[in-house]
Amino acid sequence: MADLAGVNGQRKDFRVVGKPNLPGRLSHAIATGIAKYGIDYAVPAMLHAKFLKSPYANAKVVSVDTEKARKIPGVVDIVTWEDEDIKNLSAGGGFMGPAQPFLDNIADQEGAEVAVIVVAENEDICKEALRRLDVKWEVLPHVVDLLEGRKPDAPVIRPADPAAKAGSGGFGMGGGNNPPKQGNVSYSNVNDGDVEAGFREADHIIEFDVNTAAFSGHIPNPVGGVAWWFDSTYHGEGKNLRIEGTPWGHDQVVRMYRMPAEKVFQECMLVGGRYCDWGIRKSQLITPLLAQRTGRPVRCVNDRYGMYDFNLNQRYVHLKVGFKANGLITAIDDFSIADGGARGSTNFGNTMDQTFGPYFTTRCQNVKQNMEVVDSNRGKMWLSGQHNPMSWDSLTVAIHRIAEKLGKDPIDIATLNLHGPDSQTDPNPVPSYEACVAAAKKMMNWQWHKAGEKKLPDGRLHGASFRYNQCPRHSGTVFNPKLELRNGVVRLASRGPVIGIYIMEANAMVVAEELGLEYKDIHTELDHHEIYRPYGGGSDGTTASSWALKECANKLKKEILEAAIEEANNPPAARGFGPMAKQPTPSPLKGRKAEELDLQDGKVVVKADPSIGVPLAQAVRANLFATYSGKPPDALWTHRGKKLDTMNVAMCEVAVDTETGEVEILRFGVVADPGKILRRSSLESQIDQVMDFSAGCQLQEEFIYDQKTGVKLSTNMFEYKKVGMLDMPRVDLELLETRAGNAAYGSNGISHSLANTHLVICAIQNAIGKWVDSPATPDRILKALGKA
Amino acid sequence: MADEETKKGEGGGLNRRNFLKSAGVVVTGSTLTAGITLAAEPAKAAAAAIPTTLTSFRCPICSMNFATFADLQGHFASTHPGAVVPVTTKLNVNGKDYEVLIEPHWTLQRMLQFRLGMTGAKQMCDRGVCGSCTVIIDGRAVLSCTTLAVECEGKAIQTVEGIAADFRWKPLIDSYCKWDAMQCGYCTPGFVVSAKSLLEKNPNPTEEDCKQALAGNICCCGTYPRHPTAIMEAAQKMKGGA
Repeated sequence: MADLAGVNGQRKDFRVVGKPNLPGRLSHAIATGIAKYGIDYAVPAMLHAKFLKSPYANAKVVSVDTEKARKIPGVVDIVTWEDEDIKNLSAGGGFMGPAQPFLDNIADQEGAEVAVIVVAENEDICKEALRRLDVKWEVLPHVVDLLEGRKPDAPVIRPADPAAKAGSGGFGMGGGNNPPKQGNVSYSNVNDGDVEAGFREADHIIEFDVNTAAFSGHIPNPVGGVAWWFDSTYHGEGKNLRIEGTPWGHDQVVRMYRMPAEKVFQECMLVGGRYCDWGIRKSQLITPLLAQRTGRPVRCVNDRYGMYDFNLNQRYVHLKVGFKANGLITAIDDFSIADGGARGSTNFGNTMDQTFGPYFTTRCQNVKQNMEVVDSNRGKMWLSGQHNPMSWDSLTVAIHRIAEKLGKDPIDIATLNLHGPDSQTDPNPVPSYEACVAAAKKMMNWQWHKAGEKKLPDGRLHGASFRYNQCPRHSGTVFNPKLELRNGVVRLASRGPVIGIYIMEANAMVVAEELGLEYKDIHTELDHHEIYRPYGGGSDGTTASSWALKECANKLKKEILEAAIEEANNPPAARGFGPMAKQPTPSPLKGRKAEELDLQDGKVVVKADPSIGVPLAQAVRANLFATYSGKPPDALWTHRGKKLDTMNVAMCEVAVDTETGEVEILRFGVVADPGKILRRSSLESQIDQVMDFSAGCQLQEEFIYDQKTGVKLSTNMFEYKKVGMLDMPRVDLELLETRAGNAAYGSNGISHSLANTHLVICAIQNAIGKWVDSPATPDRILKALGKA
Repeated sequence: MADEETKKGEGGGLNRRNFLKSAGVVVTGSTLTAGITLAAEPAKAAAAAIPTTLTSFRCPICSMNFATFADLQGHFASTHPGAVVPVTTKLNVNGKDYEVLIEPHWTLQRMLQFRLGMTGAKQMCDRGVCGSCTVIIDGRAVLSCTTLAVECEGKAIQTVEGIAADFRWKPLIDSYCKWDAMQCGYCTPGFVVSAKSLLEKNPNPTEEDCKQALAGNICCCGTYPRHPTAIMEAAQKMKGGA
């Protein structure tokens, strides 16, 4: 158990935290359709805007004649990349590499927004105007096959674009002595230890490929929104901007339009499904400019076709692994080819993995990672991690390969290789890991068998797989919450937005816990003008921000108790006048000291005798507030997996029909240790989500490109098949509480830590004895079996 | 009423009150108290704010407003010859008749959002795959993104807003909230409509019944396991059970 600094350290008794079935703040509004996302906003007299989309995978707009389009009745404005208004805007930077022009004449993926924006009375007229543009395209060679694109004679698609270099994003890239970029290929090399020595030490060396297919982030709500400018006596001189549909990009709008933050207003708090894709799209940012030009509200929304960005990009990995006769890994040589994607793609899915990968959770200290990042015209990856691409799949496959080679249970191989909690050389087992494995084995009735050896009664082959994972969270975010006691009610204000992980709810539960209140007693306000934003990354952000709220709540508690004494000792004057005046009843808290008091059940009570108390609203009439600025203690993110505390384990069972090639996931089993459960259903839902993702990307989701034109062929929900209710496998789960995390009450969350792209693949291998690339569609299974 | 039938705001001078009123929507409330159950009242209030008759007729091409439909038709004849003339139609939504001005190719989803300001029927796939735009027409769950609005005249259309406004279905909404049968929430109203459609036909569904009934609804967040739990509990409550 972690020995946490901070107020309350390890609280033992919980009244609110961990309580199930507490609805979210906006749940009713969401369920009833009243809640509005950017796409839902429609205001009187608004115009509509649409971008020109490239029909080519790689092309340059040489010129555009807008004359015919402008003549269409209902067309109000046409803006091109050459307009000064557009040139004055900028976008990008930060996570997404160097700032780039907001709109230019380069389209480096099919469907890219390029060169022209049309504004019209309705969407139909916009579409017609786009059709009437005379666009002169210079079609350029494209790369949608990475293996072709990395060849020395491949056409160079971005010869002079510094933004195209791998590692240009904010997360940096591996080693410092990388070779210079050649053609489409950037290099990122990370070396630890002496790999050659590690191979010399090995009794066995195996080599194999792990191919990870790209899959779509598939944001359910096509993004975009509406904006308009307005005058207001109450907000001083100058125009005010109202923008809807940019809840995560509010600050970006402020910067982009050089507006004082207090004069930019937004009601929309619902981000929709983002899955760690935090990129703000052009449709979300352009509306203020267009509204300014036209003097009317302007709505701009992406269509479904424009929402097929990557949640994980393509990667080909060749792994060479050396290990002892007992399965102990002595060397890892990882060579990979990753998709650098279109301009502005994050390196989160490629070079970022090298420094936060799973190899360092093993005792092996000889690890070589050489990566080629290939510029492509396949698509864009904004910022992801929900699917945890961080090489966990390579290690998972490696463990299964070693187990296969030695005829051993992969759990035994994993357990042998995992280092202890304190360092990479710590020989002690990780308590959380041991607890998770034991629970998972029991849950799944784990009985290992060799590949192809178990047949189900219906004749299908049974396969099983296992993986462990740490919680690769971070604690670098500084949180700045503020709590108020106003008119006897505790208020928690945040700028949101609401992203579906119920983070404010977890915060409120912690505040209620610390202040002796109930969840329903905490009044939550969402306002874009507030400072406090509770996010620091998935559910680990939940726990990290909840740490800050715990600290803040205790500062407020101290003020409340001191004020209670002050008011008890100096009660307000009698209420009323003359003979009607009512003398206040003397407080039972009078004459006591603050340290003698506590907050329990909505009252200020005497610790020694809690039956003596005064309801909070009566005990303290003063308005109080407390602030906190800080972050929880250090987390694992900064140690590259060389320290471990809470862990989790996932298992999968499949049935493979060798006649049809059909794979059925019989069930997933997950035992996760979030340290301490803050809000149970948030954790359960995240597990469901990543298992849904795992099933989808390993069995059915696939980007298909026409190699000749570079056009994506699977960009609608018929052809790119998401998991549906009937596809969703059974998920058995159990949550442990070792209290070993870094955040509130020893919590840490589980986000990012369970998703995988090869758990099902490993189970299929265990069933049929063949390795199949994802997605393992029936044709691929049959091909692997030599039947197709 | 949403965008196009209202007169232009002068200088884009919208304010919050007019915006909310014209959008026909009671704002979700960016200030809410933890755990408070929103009852059917907001949904009823939102429905009450939507005008049921047309008072102006706006040209979808040039934005001019006319006092009568005949004037608008005349305008089309003189100014936009050859263009498709909008039509007026009366649609029964959530038990109330609404006269709306639409173009003949408009989908029901588009009409609900842009004419009635109802945002419960969500556009996700735009081609009849995802179920986010599900409504109930004459007792059947249908996809409003692939249903022409003009074809719905004379039919009883029920949206999630109508379900929310009907106190009998409060247990279903409450159960969805209690069990977190939503994450980002964008697809949730479509699921609720499908669930209501199921419960009308089968007040005692099994888990498998729920799965089959919701098979046409896609949730990108993967909340699937939570829906049958919520629906089956709601079914029990609606029967007076626990």
